[in-house]
Amino acid sequence: MPGISLTINGRAYGPIEVRENLTMNDFLREELGMTGTKFGCGAAQCLSCAVIVDHADGTSSTMPTCIVAATEFDKLKIRTVEGHARNGELTPLQNSFIAHFAFQCGYCTPGFLNEAQVLLERLEKSPIPRAELESTIAEALDGHLCRCSGYVKYHQAVRDVVLADAHRFLT
Amino acid sequence: MSIDRRLMTILAVAASMLTPAASLAVSALGGTLAAPETFASMTDPAERSAAYFTELGKILTNPRCTNCHPASDRPRQGDAARPHQPPVFRGPDGFGLASMRCSNCHRGANFEPAGVPGNPAWHLAPAEMAWEGKTPSEICAQIKDPVRNGGRSLGDLVHHIGDDTLVGWAWHPGGSRTPAPGTQQAAKALLQAWIETGAACPN
Repeated sequence: MPGISLTINGRAYGPIEVRENLTMNDFLREELGMTGTKFGCGAAQCLSCAVIVDHADGTSSTMPTCIVAATEFDKLKIRTVEGHARNGELTPLQNSFIAHFAFQCGYCTPGFLNEAQVLLERLEKSPIPRAELESTIAEALDGHLCRCSGYVKYHQAVRDVVLADAHRFLT
Repeated sequence: MSIDRRLMTILAVAASMLTPAASLAVSALGGTLAAPETFASMTDPAERSAAYFTELGKILTNPRCTNCHPASDRPRQGDAARPHQPPVFRGPDGFGLASMRCSNCHRGANFEPAGVPGNPAWHLAPAEMAWEGKTPSEICAQIKDPVRNGGRSLGDLVHHIGDDTLVGWAWHPGGSRTPAPGTQQAAKALLQAWIETGAACPN
């Protein structure tokens, strides 16, 4: 069996032997017990399984885990929903999700949270005009499915975080 | 994602679960590819050249090719050439939108437990290279036009179709996918023969 080593939420894991047919979602949930990353559709349709991948060039993006092999994450640095809060302190984004009651069942929340976090970090590096904010948020969250139809509240929650710290995210 | 697209996604997934026969019905997509020698009895070079391309048309109109040379910005998938699920789009560089890159799911090789095909260069052909829904004659004119073939010379086309590993995936798609007709080497031989006889297009 191949062995993988990776960093999850700043902590090094591995080398750990994994089956070649093991998905990353099963690796996180079943092997590591990190069940914050959800298994939804199993076809990368809903993206509740998406985690953040931190690339070597300093950029980050989300990646589904339900249809991708664990071996594809070898040597990668990733973040999951468990890695957002620090010492029990929720991030502004998490607090905004709560303030807006952006989720009901919460199953899609890890994916939305990760995607929105990637967006905030991107905006911090490359601020945009206020006029582009709505479409930028919509485009970033595009593809994430929420069965409870919390789309508007998710959108508003992200927008509030940006506007509350506008000098960081907007030109 | 709009409400309509979400609804389409849900309906498409449901339909794909309920109608497995649809994909079975078009599974006879593979088949053979005639070698250039097969056309030796055709004495008119232009006629023979057009015949070579007609034979190549079996590949160029095959879902293995047209799924990623789509008429719209959205790829198709499977032998039935269904709209790609999840809904993904070409993006400015052909490798998907920033929020959903092809490589998010399509990794270096097929991952059969999830039925996801892979190649390190997985991406869509540019919009001007769309082949979906076109006849071999139309594709022939298109493929010779540098404006609509990625700026390639005829020799470049031989390399693209004959040697490129992403193109080559079409003959080794894995899973339950039907391979493109013949072999990549056979396609290369036909393409070379087509060029050597004047690159004539079928009517």
